[in-house]
Amino acid sequence: MTNHWNDIQHADVILAIGSNPAENHPISFKYIEKAMDNGAKLISVDPRFTRTSSKADLYAQLRPGTDIAFIGGMINHILQNDLIHRDYVVDYTNASFLIDEKFGFDEGIFTGYDAATFSYDKGSWKYQSAADGTPRRDPSLKHPRSVYQLLKKHYARYTPEKVCEITGTAIQDYMEVVRTFCSTGRPDRAATIMYAMGTTQHTYGTQNVRSYAMLQLLLGNIGLAGGGINALRGESNVQGSTDYAILYHILPGYLKVPDAGHVDLSTYLEKVTPKSSDPKSANWWSNTPKYMTSLLKAWWGEHATAENGYCYDYLAKKSGNYSFIKLMERLQTGGFEGLYCMGTNPIVGGPDASAIAEGLGSLKWMICADLWETETSIFWKRPGVDPKSIQTEVFLLPAASSVEKEGSISNSGRWAQWRYKAVEPPGEAKSDAWMVDQLCLRLKELYKKGGVFPEPMVHLSWDYGDGHEPDPHKVARECNGTFTRDVEIKGTLYKKGEQVPSFAFLQDDGSTLSGNWLYCGSYTQKGNMMARRGKDDPTGLEMYPEWAWCWPVNRRIIYNRASVDRNGRPWNPKKAVIAWNEAASKWEGDVPDGPWPPQAKKDGRHPFIMIADGHGALFTPALADGPFPEHYEPMESPTHNMMSGQQCNPAVATPGKLSNPAKFPYIGTTYRVSEHWQAGAMTRNLPWLVELVPDMFVEISEPLAAWKGIANGDMVTVSSERGSIEAKALVTTRIRPLRVGGQMVEQVGLPWHFGFGGLAKGDSANVLTSAVGCANTTIPEYKAFLCNIEKGGKSA
Amino acid sequence: MSTSTAKAGSMAFLIDMTKCTGCRGCQVACKQWNQLEAETTQFFSGEGYQNPPAMSEHTYTRIKFRDYWKNGQNEFAFYKEMCMHCAEPACASVCPVGAFIKTDLGPVVYDADRCIGCRFCMIACPFGVPKYEWSKALPLVKKCTGCYERVKEGLKPACATTCPTAITYGPREELIKEAEKRLTAHPDRYIRKVYGKEEAGGTNVIYLTSLPFDELGFKPVTLRPLPGYTWQALRLVPAVFLTVGGGLSALSWINHRRERLKAEEEEAGQSPSTETKEENP
Repeated sequence: MTNHWNDIQHADVILAIGSNPAENHPISFKYIEKAMDNGAKLISVDPRFTRTSSKADLYAQLRPGTDIAFIGGMINHILQNDLIHRDYVVDYTNASFLIDEKFGFDEGIFTGYDAATFSYDKGSWKYQSAADGTPRRDPSLKHPRSVYQLLKKHYARYTPEKVCEITGTAIQDYMEVVRTFCSTGRPDRAATIMYAMGTTQHTYGTQNVRSYAMLQLLLGNIGLAGGGINALRGESNVQGSTDYAILYHILPGYLKVPDAGHVDLSTYLEKVTPKSSDPKSANWWSNTPKYMTSLLKAWWGEHATAENGYCYDYLAKKSGNYSFIKLMERLQTGGFEGLYCMGTNPIVGGPDASAIAEGLGSLKWMICADLWETETSIFWKRPGVDPKSIQTEVFLLPAASSVEKEGSISNSGRWAQWRYKAVEPPGEAKSDAWMVDQLCLRLKELYKKGGVFPEPMVHLSWDYGDGHEPDPHKVARECNGTFTRDVEIKGTLYKKGEQVPSFAFLQDDGSTLSGNWLYCGSYTQKGNMMARRGKDDPTGLEMYPEWAWCWPVNRRIIYNRASVDRNGRPWNPKKAVIAWNEAASKWEGDVPDGPWPPQAKKDGRHPFIMIADGHGALFTPALADGPFPEHYEPMESPTHNMMSGQQCNPAVATPGKLSNPAKFPYIGTTYRVSEHWQAGAMTRNLPWLVELVPDMFVEISEPLAAWKGIANGDMVTVSSERGSIEAKALVTTRIRPLRVGGQMVEQVGLPWHFGFGGLAKGDSANVLTSAVGCANTTIPEYKAFLCNIEKGGKSA
Repeated sequence: MSTSTAKAGSMAFLIDMTKCTGCRGCQVACKQWNQLEAETTQFFSGEGYQNPPAMSEHTYTRIKFRDYWKNGQNEFAFYKEMCMHCAEPACASVCPVGAFIKTDLGPVVYDADRCIGCRFCMIACPFGVPKYEWSKALPLVKKCTGCYERVKEGLKPACATTCPTAITYGPREELIKEAEKRLTAHPDRYIRKVYGKEEAGGTNVIYLTSLPFDELGFKPVTLRPLPGYTWQALRLVPAVFLTVGGGLSALSWINHRRERLKAEEEEAGQSPSTETKEENP
């Protein structure tokens, strides 16, 4: 989230798209309803009429996978009717920047495409440079090569009629949504976007998110109270796990994982550290060398020296894509000897789940650490399989739940909150930290006796306790960072062993260590900031600066320098996030995005400090599949692309096992319900929740049910090219067929919580989904695939 | 004219159904606090995702779902069913042994030690709230306690504590004022009625809604306090006891015997049959 949960109450318009907060983030509704009590409008855009839609002022149905068309039409409306927040757009975004003459776009393809590799040469996706190296600009936004004019041209094709033909939305509903949302281009109004996996789980998921960000930039809604784009995280600590690099391409604090070509630390730093020749650009990532060096010092301690590049050689380098889909593909070809699943249940949660289950049989061993016996941990006795035919040795480690251990969790709003152990774990259950600690200590012992390249393990700095339950405070202190020797910074002497006060003090000379620069400031000499429970609210905006701790540097709303004009005056003085106090020459309110004065002042900085040029990117070369989001059809779609001749995202290779629309005419889409959680192990084993939603079910429309002779509660079989499942049919008007390109298209909605284990058993929706992912993140396209449905169970 | 006889200072639930998202946290919190058994359900019982099929000895509160098409639009609505904690409860007035007590704090509580199992309360309650433990050999009457044990200690009821949006718990007079304030502030959002302000002579559970009450399944209830009708109920006592009550008891006993015998049989035959299963997967 750019903002945080409490802040939603300050919105004038709330757009829930690709998310279903009433069902999947029920507590968020406390703040949504607070906003609505103050006159805010809630818009629900969803293929199904959900519990969120039932509370919304406006509901617009859209076909799964057509967000870019939907948002593209809104961008077009804004540009055609000049509804942008002009000062914001001119001063704070790259709308005025001029783009290279060679850059172009034709029939769904941007310049530089290579069909053989499904990739782009981004050579022309760049700004024209002025003599001083900064981008050439036209603040009038009239130059034909300006981002603004290119954007306007790109989205001029997204007329309301064309958009609704693609999305299946009723045009009057669409226009109502457009008018309501686009009313927030006024400086004193803000709209927020709440999105989740309905947005991201597409072959162009990253571009979906980008389209939201661009919409918000054009309306000047980023940085403001009640604004921003807010990712609703699906687990209480998923924000924390991302911050701490659960993904393969990042190191803690979103530092880039080195490529095989980054042969030493200086090469790596040279390649990954962004540069800017604009003195007004803070270019915060220019601090990368300090953060990387401090990370290496945290990991290899005294062994990490300037002479050996701080043990950079010990880091694993990537030479490919190690995302979930790719790992599972490798698993299926026998590419792994062992697998350790911690709180993950891939044969329920992964795409093309049967193929993953099949692949597990090639493992020599597998460890599952979980609160319950998951389907993955008993894959060897899944229905239809002879356990004798599977040789994999499986270990199930009982894990402690969140209330049975101490530590921090980081919520969607980036608040790291300390939790205490409420009860002892049952039986032999242990915390994940204990398991990892034991594993590491024992591996270190083994490597001391030799092995291939033992140094990274032998020299690993690892001191979290005495071999019993690791001390979470030691971990948290290391994440924050400490001084490794006495250092004088800006006239203050910091002693060896002292906690680093904030990341501005981290050094690239080995004098500091920090396990995660983003969390520097969370555990200082003053103590554990995450454990704070102060309820002061100096701004009146419920930011509670003394409640827990928020990354970065306790800033509650990021990009807040964009909430004020060039002179530091709040766009909306009634909800001022920060304000420049002219007399005192300092900022007041939230922790600003850097201490510098506002943009127009001497020594002022542009507001988007994490971007090298300091401006919100309406055009960016950063993504694999284009500088502007463009509508493509999902990899499996019942229709042709009505926007261009390019059917699917050109930067995604065509997978095997594609469902053919003739055989599988209906759109399948997966989702969650309030009563169950993720792959279900935690909820399908609780009788009180099983009572509420006991069976796997699918939601279908009344016309589809009539066509197929299906009555409410009937057993049905749903199939795709990957497999088939049975479920009970919930026939409802809440799912309606969509008119797409003049034809009626039906959908089948499937909750993905079920599996063959646990108390409440049912077939897994992910048996049907396709193992194809987003061009940028490889997140699977769970939300739009093709399937068929017939009356009767599999045995019928 | 108000006919409410609710006690001054008593505590009440304000349930604003326009704010209920149907998450059913209340339903689970109730079961957890009262340690109630989960019911065995299949698919859904009723519209939307409704479950279990009815209020029972194991289910003191439940979200009823409405899922229908009206004037070209979806209606997906949620209504919390629970004991209304009437100011003058019919259950208490008909109970021949005083097993039901209307507390000053608001909750209508039940004293199992006094109960003789006549079940007049079940017949008298216009909301159909008290339920009998048909599954037990020595059954008692079960219903929402208004979390009296929590409220006495200054805590909020379990459902109200869990609910992120729709349930406000507090002094009844204040909540009536709050409800009326909401009606004035958002006239377009609500049906202009505070349900429970006067119904059944006033209840300690009051509702606001955007949909007509009958569409949500609310039964029409007199505004007069119910004990006014009690003499009519009492007049029927002997007959009811002998026919309805007695008949149900007999049925329950027979059913029970059957279940008990079945359970005994299963227990006796369990070990060998399990072994056989494992040998032939």
